[in-house]
Amino acid sequence: MWTLEQPWAPRRNRVLAETPFTLIATLGASWLTVAWLVSIGWLPSGALWIAALTATHGGLLAVALAWGIADGGVRLPPRAALVPIVLIGAGATAATLDERAAIALMAAPAWLAILAYRGQLVGLGLGSGIPLRPLVVGGAIGALLGGHLLFSASQTLGYPLRGGGWPPLLVLWAYDVGARVISAECFFRGALFNRLQRRWSFGAAAALATALAVARSLVDPLMPGQVEAMVGALFYLTILGAANCWLLWWSGSLVPGLLASALFFFAYRALAIG
Amino acid sequence: MREIVALATAVAVVTIVASLGDGETAALLRHLYFVPVVAAALRFGVVVGVLTAATTALLQAPAVFVAIERDGLTRPAAEHLVTFLVLLCAGALVGRLASYAKAQRRRLETLLAVQRALAEEAPLEIALGRLRACLAARLDVDAVGVVMRHDDRLAVAGGGPVVAGSLAAHVLATGTPQFVPDLGGHARPRRAFVAPLLVGGEPIGVLAVEREGEIAPSERSALATLAAHCGLALENARLASRQRRFAEELAERIASATATKSTFVAVASHELRTPLTALLGFSELLVHRRFDGPEVRRMADVIHRETERLVRIVDDFLDLSRIERGLELRISPARVEVATAVAAAVEVFRRAGSHRVIVECADALPAIDADADALDRILKNLVSNAIKYSPAGSAVHVAARARDGVAVEFSVHDTGRGIPAEALPRVFEPYYRAPGVGSARGAGLGLAVVKSLVDAHGGTIELESAPDQGTRVTFVLPAVS
Repeated sequence: MWTLEQPWAPRRNRVLAETPFTLIATLGASWLTVAWLVSIGWLPSGALWIAALTATHGGLLAVALAWGIADGGVRLPPRAALVPIVLIGAGATAATLDERAAIALMAAPAWLAILAYRGQLVGLGLGSGIPLRPLVVGGAIGALLGGHLLFSASQTLGYPLRGGGWPPLLVLWAYDVGARVISAECFFRGALFNRLQRRWSFGAAAALATALAVARSLVDPLMPGQVEAMVGALFYLTILGAANCWLLWWSGSLVPGLLASALFFFAYRALAIG
Repeated sequence: MREIVALATAVAVVTIVASLGDGETAALLRHLYFVPVVAAALRFGVVVGVLTAATTALLQAPAVFVAIERDGLTRPAAEHLVTFLVLLCAGALVGRLASYAKAQRRRLETLLAVQRALAEEAPLEIALGRLRACLAARLDVDAVGVVMRHDDRLAVAGGGPVVAGSLAAHVLATGTPQFVPDLGGHARPRRAFVAPLLVGGEPIGVLAVEREGEIAPSERSALATLAAHCGLALENARLASRQRRFAEELAERIASATATKSTFVAVASHELRTPLTALLGFSELLVHRRFDGPEVRRMADVIHRETERLVRIVDDFLDLSRIERGLELRISPARVEVATAVAAAVEVFRRAGSHRVIVECADALPAIDADADALDRILKNLVSNAIKYSPAGSAVHVAARARDGVAVEFSVHDTGRGIPAEALPRVFEPYYRAPGVGSARGAGLGLAVVKSLVDAHGGTIELESAPDQGTRVTFVLPAVS
């Protein structure tokens, strides 16, 4: 039994330990530079979207990786944190050039899947096997919330289903899964909530992680502009975030939460919002 | 699972029934949601109660929001929203009360189980094991350990030995409960809580639990209280066990003392009877028959010897009585010339003629500061023992020599049967007789009295012996300063 047989010392490391502040500052500076270049007309407006997407989601993934590597006790070269930034940047650039190329955003989750398979993302709740029961529960939560969104949004706000068949739906969904979902789940659940729940109670950790995730969504340029749609989105994102925290707390794996989010955003993209 | 299905069915039935009715009827029927919400809260507690209420709200939300979108916040729509709010409050409050009542019941049941587990008397390790098993079955944790101080070691149930610097050792040293939110190395946070087992405010052990999941503050508080109860229960069990052992030991000692006294009475009666028989026999002969001079002298000599022996035995009894009452033997120290005292003490044995009593006193011995009568008794007792346990005709050496000019060392050495090694530590105990003494007479008092007399003089006494190689008793008495 650990409490009897292992030496103990009070925890000293901080919540923000191992954060790549230099990288974050560089990303922020790059974003501002691109914004300035776009404002003076030296770069096309699409560059701002690429920079925002890369800085936000790439930055979140880079921090999540740094924390996850440190907490999981695995060894990865420091440049590994740059890989998701490059992949998301490349995907965003491709998607700007051709909408169908948004599928390239799936490169980041694919690369993370490889790392997880090698057991290098244990610290983020990825790679220690996929528990079946939590996966089913995660799928059920995502389907339930997505189904409810489809039903209530179409009934109350009158949003119709998105037309044009599967390709445009999959392209938008690729953005969600390849950037938004993977970065939010890896950072807000896999890294932040995971660290907080090892210091505080589940409730406190889930409340802060969910609040920060919802706050980030508020500044997402792809959020619907209408107030009622924003309120609805916040309602669902709050429930989804809290549910994903619980899934990670219950199963120790990030995969059920990823599945729940992917299903929910599929339903979200099926609506013609925004 | 069956209960979950029943709840889901009840919620679905109410939803279908409410959706079939018109406005006012539907509003009335929606109150039926109270049944599954309150049932869920009562059965599963606050979380499931609130979740059930939230589910009913989600199921009705599309209809309500559509109505609000269409007609604005009308009175029926407001009533609808209030119903949701009341359902949520009912789920939360009823669930909280139900959870609290269940937690209290569990605590009381656990305390009762702990009392039962420790009610039966058992050695500490077994009692700790029972306590641990009882707690493991009731606390819903991944690991439970109980540690308790026992004399100068730690008895542990539920884990390996307590290492220095561990959380348990820390709590045992400080007496303060400690909570660790994560032990590390696990996909899920593994929390630990260690509470001291307190008796009179002092930690006598710890109760340690580990769980992959929450250990809420209210649960930690309950565990700390439980640990205090466990401490008291264990202490009571320990005291009861100690009392039982003490009672058993006391009974054994009483039985042993009774047996020793019985033996002593038998031996002492025999010891007294022997000289008395001689006295009675010879005195009767002298009264009833006429003897010539030398024969009368011989009989008088026997009567005198037996009387002296009787006096020695009675003196030993009196001294023993004082020793057992914790009193010091009364002595009157005075200047005693060693060679004269030794010669006088052995004279009676020399005259008996059964053994060769050889006296070896060094020249120019210092006088000693001793009670002359006590020294005489010491020497006579030792020489008498030496003769008693040596074959007839063998030599008994009585020696005296100066030691550093401040004391005189006396020794009495025989070549008799000796004393077994296992009996040596007890030879100075009253009533003790070494095994294998056979038919030799004695009450087991001689050496005990000798030691007490030597001690009363501030001297020391030692005994060396080996089977069939004789015995040497050496005692040292202080010289006149």
